[in-house]
Amino acid sequence: MPWLTIIIVIPLLAALAMFIVPEGDVGTARLVAALGAGLTLVMSVLMLANFHRDFPGPQFVDHAGWATQVGLDWIVWVDGISIWLIMLTTGLFAIAVAYLCFRTPDRPRAFLALIMLAEMGLLGLFSSGNLVLFYVFWELMLVPFYFMIGMWGGAGRKLASIKFVIYTMVGSLLMLVSIVATAVIAHGITGVYTFDIVALRNVDYTRPESIWLLAGFLLAFVIKLPLWPFHGWLPDAYRESPIVVVALLAAVVSKAGVYGLLRIGLPLFPRGMAYFQYPIILLALVSIVYGSLVAWRQPTMRMLVGYSSLAHLGFIALGIAAIDPQAAQGAVLQMVNHGVVVVAAFAIVGIIATRTGKEDIDDIGGLAARAPWLSGIFLVVTMASLAIPGSNSFAGEFFILSGTFRHDWWAAAIAMIGVVYASVYMLRLYQSSMNGPARGGDPRRVELRVRDVVVLVPLIAVMLFIALWPQVLAGASSASVNAAVAPAQVAVGRPPSEIRSVVLPNPLPATVSSASGVTGGASQ
Amino acid sequence: MLITTLAWIVLGLPLAGALLLSLWPGEPDRNLSRVIGVGTVALGFVLTTIVFFDLLSRTPSHRHATNALWQWINVDGLHIDLAVLVDPLSVMMMLIITGVGSLIVWYSTEYMAEDRDYRRFFAEMNFFVFSMLLLVLAANFFFLIVGWAFVGLASYLLIGYYYEKPSAVAAAKKAFVINVIGDAGLVLAAFLIAKTFGSLDYAQVFATAPTRLGGGSFTAEMICLLLFVGCAAKSAQIPLHTWLPDAMEGPTPVSALIHAATMVTAGVYLVVRCNVLFHLAPYASDYVAITGAVTLLVAASIAIVQEDIKRVLAWSTVSQIGYMMVAAGLGLYSQAMFHLLMHAFFKALLFLTAGVVIHALSGEQSLNRMGGLHRLLKFASFAMLIGCLAISGIPPFSGFFSKDEILSTAMAAGPLGVVCAVAGIIGAAMTAFYMFRMYFRAFGGPQREGGYHPHPHMSGLAMAIPVGVLAVLATIGGFLQVPWGRQLVTDWLAPAIPDQSSVEASATVEWLTSLASVSVAAVAIGIAWWLFGAGPERRLKYAHTLAGLRHVLLEQWLFDDAYESVIIQPGRDLGDAAIRTAEPDLTQGIVTAAAGFSMAGARGLHRVQGGLVRTYAFALIAGAAIVGLVVVLAR
Repeated sequence: MPWLTIIIVIPLLAALAMFIVPEGDVGTARLVAALGAGLTLVMSVLMLANFHRDFPGPQFVDHAGWATQVGLDWIVWVDGISIWLIMLTTGLFAIAVAYLCFRTPDRPRAFLALIMLAEMGLLGLFSSGNLVLFYVFWELMLVPFYFMIGMWGGAGRKLASIKFVIYTMVGSLLMLVSIVATAVIAHGITGVYTFDIVALRNVDYTRPESIWLLAGFLLAFVIKLPLWPFHGWLPDAYRESPIVVVALLAAVVSKAGVYGLLRIGLPLFPRGMAYFQYPIILLALVSIVYGSLVAWRQPTMRMLVGYSSLAHLGFIALGIAAIDPQAAQGAVLQMVNHGVVVVAAFAIVGIIATRTGKEDIDDIGGLAARAPWLSGIFLVVTMASLAIPGSNSFAGEFFILSGTFRHDWWAAAIAMIGVVYASVYMLRLYQSSMNGPARGGDPRRVELRVRDVVVLVPLIAVMLFIALWPQVLAGASSASVNAAVAPAQVAVGRPPSEIRSVVLPNPLPATVSSASGVTGGASQ
Repeated sequence: MLITTLAWIVLGLPLAGALLLSLWPGEPDRNLSRVIGVGTVALGFVLTTIVFFDLLSRTPSHRHATNALWQWINVDGLHIDLAVLVDPLSVMMMLIITGVGSLIVWYSTEYMAEDRDYRRFFAEMNFFVFSMLLLVLAANFFFLIVGWAFVGLASYLLIGYYYEKPSAVAAAKKAFVINVIGDAGLVLAAFLIAKTFGSLDYAQVFATAPTRLGGGSFTAEMICLLLFVGCAAKSAQIPLHTWLPDAMEGPTPVSALIHAATMVTAGVYLVVRCNVLFHLAPYASDYVAITGAVTLLVAASIAIVQEDIKRVLAWSTVSQIGYMMVAAGLGLYSQAMFHLLMHAFFKALLFLTAGVVIHALSGEQSLNRMGGLHRLLKFASFAMLIGCLAISGIPPFSGFFSKDEILSTAMAAGPLGVVCAVAGIIGAAMTAFYMFRMYFRAFGGPQREGGYHPHPHMSGLAMAIPVGVLAVLATIGGFLQVPWGRQLVTDWLAPAIPDQSSVEASATVEWLTSLASVSVAAVAIGIAWWLFGAGPERRLKYAHTLAGLRHVLLEQWLFDDAYESVIIQPGRDLGDAAIRTAEPDLTQGIVTAAAGFSMAGARGLHRVQGGLVRTYAFALIAGAAIVGLVVVLAR
């Protein structure tokens, strides 16, 4: 059964089906979107149930020839890393659609179609098995976000959407150049002309080749993440977009950059990653400290959460740049955690802002007295966001920093500044809105309603589950994580005792290559 | 495994209570809140005594058991279980937490009776008890840190219990943030432990520490110093002590349970728990002792000028934990634990009695408006007197035995020990002075004009019985461990503390130290009586003469101001500067230029009407859809 192709196509069909929905028929549009998102989620859960947790390579491979002569084909698969991003995407988009079903935007057909299209783009990106497909989906997902920001955004939406697109386009154009160059140069080394990510693993480029090829990708990744100082698109996009779009940008789209580092950076260009290791660590640390300080001083709730996201993504990038299996495992955990927590945070911000009509932190206060359930759930989300020990986020952060500490203790120590400031800015957000004297209108109106509970409770449940038993995620991803990190570990000269996966040379020496295939993968 | 099962139940009960109370739909009946709130903790105490007697019936070397519920995570060889460790040390802490805890929660049923948020109070108290039990029961550093952070969260919630009050909200945030700084130290210590030992389990770390680390190694010192950052924050030791006095914004039972008897002593618990590591780190241990000595003096000096009855007690808590840290830093672990136990009794007694007074005076906390309460609140007056005598180290009350043991043994523990002991004796004088200053000003003398309602309301049994029980314990508790007699606490803890210092004071030193500390305390009480009891007008005269010193003490040695101007305000300025300059100039510069360029170039597209843009969107969707369909159909 072509699991992944089906999972990618369902949202696309839902988007197409919006054409048939008569204009003005909001009910049907909702139903189509809900069915599309729901079905995708169900399929991805079923896929997860059939996932082999100890297998490090690709699973559920769907392969169809296309233009195989030039190395182009439809190949999608998941491994222990991408399956969780697929789950994150399907889960969060289902929640986003649920949120939208209760709060229908203007022109609902078009908006819901764009949401579905964005889901398709992200699912395709996270399951792409070759670089061209990766690039196509990378650009494809930009399109719906461009329109969602540009047409449904606030007053400054035009500039915001153009900024977003131009900035991310500039980065990804160089990625396209790099993709072509990668295939050409790899052809010279291995004798095979291919864009296949597995076949391109650990190709024996010279050090300058590896560095320059990676550089093209890297710019795209750090802009998408974003890392300081490449976050120029973030403030406008976050300020002007509808809150659902902001949540999805922070929770899922940002993971595309991290995923690129893990899927392409580490395994394909280990020497390049070794070269860029400390620059990335440095930018990650600056993002953490800078993001925290700027978040603390933001006047509005959504910008505070937005900049906190900059800091949190700094942690995730740090986990990957540390080139350590433990840190990378933490980063994978944290990708899921951050996605879940930041969506919950934006949902609460959205609820408060729509009910009180105010976004400024100083205009809102004392809501806890009349809205105890909101305040209780907000507290849980706040604690998860500032990664209190015992929360799901702490599990991720702990291993990111513990792995980083092994080789670069100073980086973990500096990152701790961000941990402390996280409590400062998150408590500012929580306390000034929930505690103190009542401000900002009738607090009774803010209390959670069924429509909010539908969105928040699944998120809280996932947070609690991961907090109590992260081994479920870690166990199913560790083999893939170890395999992804190992080539770079060799490149930076880590002792063999720390390397948890076999690193095969590429191309294989003639005597070995006949015995074991490089592109081996288990297809369901 | 009976005892570990019981430990899990003791741990689970208050968690269940907290969840039940907070998720209860609607406002539950007050009796229900009461029964759940007190019942889970009291039942926990009963079960803990079973565990205690089970351990007691075993030979000392077999008095420990661990049990894991599930494998929490296993990442790259670092294996972490959700596991408990039951041993003499954790059981002693469990007895304090559930024993003193149930008395205080019971007391709260009446103290909080007028509160409109009754169930939230008990939910948060139960959550605290759960967190504190997790802290002491954890079998590895990871879940220690989890419990450590959860007690911080519970403390945050209860300090900020009256969340309409801005001062309470600010105090809660301050406590939380300073404790996060402590958590950061602990977490870094855990990283170093994991890197060095490949494990976070107590059993494995402590068993292999002597061979892997070696005495006095840099790693050992670093681990202990980082651990102590956490201890200092949690136990309010200099320089991370400033949150505790502000924490008095919470309801008084909270101050008694969290900020006196249990949570704030967690730092002492952790040093004692890690005695194997601290034994290998002589410099870090010295640092612990010096911090304790400095803290006990500074805090005691500040307590002398406090006008708020709870803040006197808060500073005295900081100071008393200083004594425990002195003991722990000098390797006198069981003496530290003995003082921790006695302090739990007499400090809980003092806070609960203060609560009786505050309750009777309808929330009045200022000593300025008290006076002459002895005639009106006889019971509270006697209870407070017992507490004051106990903390001042007057024989035969409990504080005498525990403080005296620390001081006399410290005398025999080398030069640093002598210095610390001298500091402790000076501290004992100040302790006696500020405690009796508080006592005479509140209970002695005439009633103050316009101070309080002349007929304060009496407390009922739910408040009186816990106070009574604690008064008895504070009176006789010291006999658990008397010089040259049975050393019950030391004997009990021996299996958990392999590196207990074997220093013992000679009889002469013992006598001299006792004589010195008791006599300075007695003199200090006399001066307090002379200033505050016999002639209240004298105090104003001396306050005037010593205005300069008073100012420094009232400003609490300027720690708060220093932090504000050196750390907090620069952080704000940096954040504001980043928003003002770096954000628009550095990060926006490039992107705005690029966007502007494209806007100019694509003016035609810009003029396209809204409807047309939508059509364009659908054209794109259709295009993408066709590509997708082709790909699928090509299979």
